[in-house]
Amino acid sequence: MSEVLANRKIMMEATNIDPGPETRANILIVDDRKENLIATEKVLKNLDAVIFKANSGNEALSLMLRHRFAVVLLDVQMPEMDGFETAKLMQEHESMQNVPIIFVTAISKEEKYATQAAEIGAVDYIFKPINSDILRSKVKVYLDIYLQHQQILRLNKTLSQSNEELERFAYICSHDMQEPVRMMHSYAELLERKYAQLLDETGKKYLNFITNNAKHMQKMISDILGFSRVGREELTIEHVDCSQILQEVLEKFTPQIQEKKARITIGTLPVLNTNVTLLSVLFQNLIGNGLKFQDKTKVPEIEIEANQNGREWIFTVRDNGIGIDPRFHAKMFTIFQRLHRREEYPGTGIGLSTCKKFIELQGGKIWFESTVGQGTIFYFTINNKQVTP
Amino acid sequence: MKKSMNILLVEDNEGDIELTKIAFREGNLASKLSVAHDGAEALAYLSQEGVFEDTQRPDLIMLDLNMPVMSGKELLEIIKKDDKLKSIPVIVFTSSNARSDVSECYNLHANSYILKPSNLEDYIQVAKRVEDFWTDIAQLPYLSESW
Repeated sequence: MSEVLANRKIMMEATNIDPGPETRANILIVDDRKENLIATEKVLKNLDAVIFKANSGNEALSLMLRHRFAVVLLDVQMPEMDGFETAKLMQEHESMQNVPIIFVTAISKEEKYATQAAEIGAVDYIFKPINSDILRSKVKVYLDIYLQHQQILRLNKTLSQSNEELERFAYICSHDMQEPVRMMHSYAELLERKYAQLLDETGKKYLNFITNNAKHMQKMISDILGFSRVGREELTIEHVDCSQILQEVLEKFTPQIQEKKARITIGTLPVLNTNVTLLSVLFQNLIGNGLKFQDKTKVPEIEIEANQNGREWIFTVRDNGIGIDPRFHAKMFTIFQRLHRREEYPGTGIGLSTCKKFIELQGGKIWFESTVGQGTIFYFTINNKQVTP
Repeated sequence: MKKSMNILLVEDNEGDIELTKIAFREGNLASKLSVAHDGAEALAYLSQEGVFEDTQRPDLIMLDLNMPVMSGKELLEIIKKDDKLKSIPVIVFTSSNARSDVSECYNLHANSYILKPSNLEDYIQVAKRVEDFWTDIAQLPYLSESW
């Protein structure tokens, strides 16, 4: 199945959003004496929760394996497995570790029991005879925390689902738009090539608009595709000679470098364990920007270097271009954000956001310093990854 | 005299069929271009069924991926599993540059993978170079006896 088809399928399935965990919380009461269980249940029955009862540590553990609990009321004095032992076993089990335990006991109010309980991870300690109001209000606090936590989990899930859907949508859209825009571009060109002599100046101008806009749209679509591919495709980490990648990128810019007589200075660059595409996307965008954002009053100069800082390397791409107005600094990495008219400086506003997405995905950072009229320095960090054999 | 080939273009989009024809014409290609509009038609052509009874075996197939009913990949798989057809070089000719598409096609034994150029001039260049490569540089398989 093609990638696009597979994505469509996932997208359709994703619309059946999982309703998530139940909204009513569960409480577990553990006591070896039936009358205590009934009494406690009576105290808690007005709370909006489902109450489970267990009359031994074993039964409690088996219930906890099958259900999620907002809070557990655990009797300390029980035959066979006492409350402390039960709690210790609970702590060993990942799914039970974070369930709050309130110990309930009739025995001594000695400090040492409370200390022991706290060490095991109990959040509270209540003595019999139970004061109903205190018990109810304590349990209520844990129920509220539990419900809020569940709600956050649900929201997070919904958010990440809609995020994923949006990304897939962008990907599918841009993928499928390539075809028709390519047709528009090719046929506008064909018209120009074969029938231009039949058109007057206005007609030629219109045709020119069609061709130029089709080209721009092609660039946008391929940039959006590039952006949405970051993070979708698995990144292979390999031995990367950064100088070699830089040379490959510079080769693509040869016509521009020659035309603008730009001076490129390259410092010593390392060999790192990283992803080739990451580095080449970064160089391509930052050097491309350095060459593009020039006001033609001076010879473009671009310096590229890298310095080691522990396990990470800080790369620097410095240009002597027009610089960035401080008013726009905060918006620099926002997708589709452009600061100039297309006629002045062409572009899609996707390059830097792709850089940022890519760098952050790899655990790095990107930032810049800039002075209007003097130039901009972009910095980005790349971790020298450990290669697992 | 330029050497020529019989090329079968499997493509559903009329715009692309026309562009390919124009590219062949404008680029003065010597090869003969035949068109199948979907996978089923391509298979009928290749097995010389029905209206394709008198067709010649193509020297080369140019295959679009994104086609309705039978996708380009499905057709590629059928061709490469067929003892009579598998020796015909298949060039995947598509607008998708998704890495997964590229590697899937090669895994299905595509002979090369070419991105459809985004403008006419490049289209003509690609057509010319494909012809040059397969006629002047590469050696095509000899026609099998059974065809």
